[in-house]
Amino acid sequence: MLDSALSFISSSFFLLAQEEAVEEAAAGFDYAALINQALNGIGIVGILLLTGLGLAITFGVMRIINLAHGEFIMLGAYVTFLMQDLFKMDLLMTIPFAFIGTAIVGALIEITIIRRLYGRPLETLLATWGLSIVIQGVVKLIFTAELKYVRSPSYLSGTIPLGADGAIAISYYRLFIICMALALLGLTMFLFYGTSWGRQIRAVTQNRDMAKCLGVNTKLIDMGTFAYGCGLAGVAGAVISALKTVAPPMGQDYLVDAWMVVVTGGVDKLIGILAGSFLIGEANAIIAFILNDPLARVIVLGAVIVLIRYKPEGLFTVQKRT
Amino acid sequence: MANLVLGYKQSTFPTKLAFISGIGLLIFTILPFVLGDFQLSLMSKLLLFGALAISLDLVWGFTGILSFAHGVFFTLGGYASAYYLKLNLSAASNTYGGELPDFMVWNGLETLPWFIAPLKYFPVALFATVAVPALFAYVIGYFIFRSKVSGVYITIITLAISSALTTFFVSQQAYTGGTNGITDISRLSFWGNDVPPIGLYFLILIYTAFVLAISWWLTQSNFGLILRSINENEKRIQFLGYDVAQYKIFIWTVSAALAGMAGGLFVPLNRFISPVYLAVAFGTQVVIWVAIGGRGTLIGPLLAALLLGQVQNYAEKVTQDWQLVIGVLLLVVVLFVPNGLMSLLPKRFSLANLSKPKPIAPRSQSGQKA
Repeated sequence: MLDSALSFISSSFFLLAQEEAVEEAAAGFDYAALINQALNGIGIVGILLLTGLGLAITFGVMRIINLAHGEFIMLGAYVTFLMQDLFKMDLLMTIPFAFIGTAIVGALIEITIIRRLYGRPLETLLATWGLSIVIQGVVKLIFTAELKYVRSPSYLSGTIPLGADGAIAISYYRLFIICMALALLGLTMFLFYGTSWGRQIRAVTQNRDMAKCLGVNTKLIDMGTFAYGCGLAGVAGAVISALKTVAPPMGQDYLVDAWMVVVTGGVDKLIGILAGSFLIGEANAIIAFILNDPLARVIVLGAVIVLIRYKPEGLFTVQKRT
Repeated sequence: MANLVLGYKQSTFPTKLAFISGIGLLIFTILPFVLGDFQLSLMSKLLLFGALAISLDLVWGFTGILSFAHGVFFTLGGYASAYYLKLNLSAASNTYGGELPDFMVWNGLETLPWFIAPLKYFPVALFATVAVPALFAYVIGYFIFRSKVSGVYITIITLAISSALTTFFVSQQAYTGGTNGITDISRLSFWGNDVPPIGLYFLILIYTAFVLAISWWLTQSNFGLILRSINENEKRIQFLGYDVAQYKIFIWTVSAALAGMAGGLFVPLNRFISPVYLAVAFGTQVVIWVAIGGRGTLIGPLLAALLLGQVQNYAEKVTQDWQLVIGVLLLVVVLFVPNGLMSLLPKRFSLANLSKPKPIAPRSQSGQKA
């Protein structure tokens, strides 16, 4: 246990830091560098948004304390790797497969495990942790523990110069991540607030028994919603796979971050996680520019803890009668 | 009627419990003379993990606060003791000959930082091993429990604390040795004599027995009753006029102190400490021991830590994927045996039952006089 933990500690806990590998050593106070860092922050925001979105559904909507969320991200990354390896597929083409693959796994898990634990949050937490160990173990059995690499498409490499002399630039891939994240957020919001399926989901979460009485198939809704949340995590994994190496413990890195985003934004409104990921991502980037990456992470996590203490419902919640 | 009441009063000594714990203690006293060197140090380690699991059981099993931060308290105690052993490394065996630990030299420190220097002295180090985790826990506890934050969010906070502290310790290379942690430490010695492995084993055995005893005493008392009722129905206890937050903070701090001392004993055994033990993975390991052993049973988490450790030891020789087994076991326990493996034991062997004094048949004559 601990030996395996050792191996991934050294590689992880700096995922945000690694994101900023292109950071230039700025001497003195350099506005171009600061703006660049803020733009790098946008990339982090995109990743946080992608990883948080699935959790906003499984935790925010369904109230499942899902500690296996990171493993669904990892599964998505592996689907992408497999598709590239077997069929020489383009990264963008693999995204639907990543979604479907993880959604199916999610649905199976909902039927076999999660379903038995509704209304018992702490048990769910333990079960999903056990699940995350099992998923990691199974993936390790199938793919071995060695690191896998996913190629990002050539048309997404390079940067767009924004400033006059190219001092300020944003990479295509970062832009792609944030656009992807925003598109998924938009799609999810449409599904939730614009379709009858979304109405049923909201009905079930608000009053399960009443929804049942009105003829909503709550079991099917639960399964579908959980599978959708897992599918989103899979998409996040597919997109992230090009940035990082793909390995069984990779999901662990994103678990805490995804949780922080969801908790900061609040779970009442999906739009909250956009605010949550923006705050955390940019705060991280800016503080990292002033101090350094690890300290930025410590400060941001500390700030989130303080936030939970004073507003456990998150920053962006509507006042509710209790 | 009076006879019956008096009959109960005649003996408050839990004979059965004393008998069973006596046998347990005897087994663990004989064990080191039977075991080889490797098993001796493994058992010492597992006993400490057991003590750690018991400390988590105090807050989780009895009070209902699920914490992933007990690995953090353990490791904070561990670092305190590691600094003591590192600073007492004789100049000859230090890589650079001087007083300054090697990792500080590598990172360009000239003098010993003021907050580490006092740890060279045993009483200070001993105090710090308990006080640093306890103080840290007290601050967190005071901060969290005096608010409306509910169960699950507390767990999320402990996750964040564990993650943040790991990052912090890894980043402060000059003071903590970074990812490698503190290695190359001296052996624990008193008055110039190194403590042999078997001595360390008994030290650890005594400590674990102490943790078990004090936890048992705490939870059997009125105080323990209040803790249990907080777990069952916090609101009602509040309405009865108890300051729930104060009870939670107290048990949280005590539990952290117990975990910290376990960490302090772990370092002389393990010969190094590193941020691995701060990380979420180790924190969850502790949670798994308690979950599998059985919440609120005290002895269950201890046994689970011992058994799973032994299983891991043997499984690792066969396969690298023994962790998968732990995951499946955890899932099965959560789904089908929600109260842990201890609940599979017959009721009359449960701690609560064993500790009850045996009712003695009322003696009519002596009863009437009183």
